[in-house]
Amino acid sequence: MTTRRNVIVGAAGASVAAAGGAVGYRLWRDREPATPAALDGEGHLLWRNWSGIQNAYPQQRAAPDSEEALADVLKSAATPVRPVGSGHSFTPLVPTSGTLLTLDRMSGLVSHDATNHRATVRAGTRLGDLGPALAGVGQEMANLPDINKQSLGGALGTGTHGTGRALKAIHGDVLSFRLATPKGDVISCDRTNNADIFNAARVNLGAFGVVSEVTLQNQPLTRVLKRTTVRQLDAAIEEWPALIANHRNVEFYAIPFTGLAAVITVDETDKPISPRGPDTDADAVMGLKKLRDLTGFLPGVRRSLAQSAFKDAPAEEAVDEGWKLLSNERPVRFNEMEYHLPLEAQMVALREVIAAIEKHRPDVFFPIEVRVIDQDDAWLSPFFGRVSGSIAVHAYYKDDYQFLFDLIEPILRRHDGRPHWGKLHSLKAADFVSLYPRFKDATAVRAMLDPQGRMLNDHLRAVFIDG
Amino acid sequence: MRRIAIATALALLAACTPSAPDRSPAEAAAYALTLAPKDARLADLYAQSCKTCHTVLDTGAPLSGDRTAWDARWKKGMPALVVSTVGGLGGMPAGGQCFSCTPQDYEALIRFMADRDR
Repeated sequence: MTTRRNVIVGAAGASVAAAGGAVGYRLWRDREPATPAALDGEGHLLWRNWSGIQNAYPQQRAAPDSEEALADVLKSAATPVRPVGSGHSFTPLVPTSGTLLTLDRMSGLVSHDATNHRATVRAGTRLGDLGPALAGVGQEMANLPDINKQSLGGALGTGTHGTGRALKAIHGDVLSFRLATPKGDVISCDRTNNADIFNAARVNLGAFGVVSEVTLQNQPLTRVLKRTTVRQLDAAIEEWPALIANHRNVEFYAIPFTGLAAVITVDETDKPISPRGPDTDADAVMGLKKLRDLTGFLPGVRRSLAQSAFKDAPAEEAVDEGWKLLSNERPVRFNEMEYHLPLEAQMVALREVIAAIEKHRPDVFFPIEVRVIDQDDAWLSPFFGRVSGSIAVHAYYKDDYQFLFDLIEPILRRHDGRPHWGKLHSLKAADFVSLYPRFKDATAVRAMLDPQGRMLNDHLRAVFIDG
Repeated sequence: MRRIAIATALALLAACTPSAPDRSPAEAAAYALTLAPKDARLADLYAQSCKTCHTVLDTGAPLSGDRTAWDARWKKGMPALVVSTVGGLGGMPAGGQCFSCTPQDYEALIRFMADRDR
């Protein structure tokens, strides 16, 4: 079967066979990044995040199996005590020389309310396991992020989200949670009990304590049609308002240097099940990389080859339960910056981002992810009080990502963007005070729960105190 | 003489080692889903981390129990495999996203997934 990647690679190879020098240069650049030693001088095992840019050698690792044990770790273990979900954050939320804390032994469904479609879940549950567990009781989360390897606690703590104009980020569907604190307490929080903690710590960066279990407002299991089409980028941008108005979930990937976009819509359907086929996204991304490798210095050739390869690409469709289609495997690692902007600024900012990349960074090949998220009222939610349009720019894990800070972040900040807590940004406390109306209230709650700063590493100290 | 006896025994053992049945990729993934380490603690670690990728074709990870897919990796030797696991390599994230695993746990999990634990 001819894949998009083969089409791109074949065409590109035939057209630029003379570019051997550039290819050699690319091969040299394509080596695996250096890996720190597996053990430090004191025998502590290396921890790294998913993409490999954050490293630490924690002196202790804790995996409590009960709330009591969790609270004891928070109160007594070596500091900083840093919870880790699945290590998918690109920002240094996790690195610690003290205690690395995982909730992997506190996972699974606790109970469910079939009438109101609610479920109580332990926070260590990975989203990929939660989908089938909820389906088993006839429920599903209203939305899911692009990747489902995260733990529920980690996803909530960083404001992780899916896409859809009427759909909130995951924390927007939290009805209550239990929080183990650095003082050794376990607190139940909802809109009426410990309401300030509920509002401040629904998105908590793992700095207010550790959420042990969560009650989610889910919905009945639905069958959806997922449709992926390749469009001209200008058309996708023009149609974005209509797309977000007409589809339950919608996003598009703007592909730099090609003039193309992949538009993905998800809507409820009663069509018969037609499961998704094997993943083609990784193949397509590595095809774009090969195109970059071969024609990065010839933008006209790069664009025409991509247009030619994708012009007759058929729409891809799948029909299945939502939890099976909303998230994807992402075997190609990357680093990422994502900001959430006022919706009305999103397309203007996107055009600026694409123009900047195409002018200054021919090495970029990863598609730019464009999403929409409904507002909520969690104090540290990037979606606090405003419907948001997100723009996420990626860099292959072997490639330089400094341009995200130098070139992309100034654009996204100029448009009043708020960064995803788990994705690369350079903001500090003073910046957040101006971006988040309740930021000072949230930091006061944090200081009350963790007066000794037991959960603060250098990054979190800059976010909450020193910035 | 003793060395010859050991070599002969090893050769016989190798001859007796069951080869991986010919399975389609989908069958191999379905088979991987049926597997779990016998040790309860290892089984928990495996379920929370390795299993999320090593039983899913689309991840590109070598599937648990797919001895053939693991052959080339196994030839690198256990120390190299553990270093790759701890630091990450290619699509494999560091530590296999198992944050309470020890180096000994990684060795046992690699043996299990590579079908070398019998």
